[in-house]
Amino acid sequence: MESSINEFFRNVLGDRTPVADQLENIHGLAWAVVDPELLDLCRLRVAMLLGCRSELEILNSDLSSEKVASLSQWSSSSLFNECEMSCLRFTEEFIVDVSSIPDSSAFAVRDRLGDEGFVNFVNALLVVEQRIRLQIVWGKLSQEVSA
Amino acid sequence: MTRSQRVAAANFDSTFREALSLWQEEVVQLGLIDPVTTEVVRLRCAEHHDCYT
Repeated sequence: MESSINEFFRNVLGDRTPVADQLENIHGLAWAVVDPELLDLCRLRVAMLLGCRSELEILNSDLSSEKVASLSQWSSSSLFNECEMSCLRFTEEFIVDVSSIPDSSAFAVRDRLGDEGFVNFVNALLVVEQRIRLQIVWGKLSQEVSA
Repeated sequence: MTRSQRVAAANFDSTFREALSLWQEEVVQLGLIDPVTTEVVRLRCAEHHDCYT
């Protein structure tokens, strides 16, 4: 399924292969520098908030189905540890208003992942978010063109 | 809104950072959008992301 998303981007980008190559490269690196289960939780939450069905249909890690089913209630669920909750809070604030994320949310993530882990997490989240937003916008444009 | 510095300046994971730079370079080199529109969008994104660099 992940390969079909890469295929989608390659189809849209056409002969602009360097752009598609770089997008695949940063996406792969994002999953290499952040714990895949943690990033997968955040990716799914972004997809839920933005309404990206294609991303909700895939899993990029060994995340349990129980956690996935409880993800929209993460703040009151006992399934999520402190690190996951901190990252999910940060993710939601990142999606809603990236320039207004409070220190408390940022420091909660940094304190759990460390300085480098925090920087990698934010960069990886940026890649995941951009990729999802591109899928949504380009998907809609493709529908309009083919209608 | 006031914010504290969140991480000390350091060269974290240069591979990932360089890859992000390469991606952005490829994107801005796309020539289908006129330069003025591209710049307006870039500035709007910088403001949205609170980026002053």
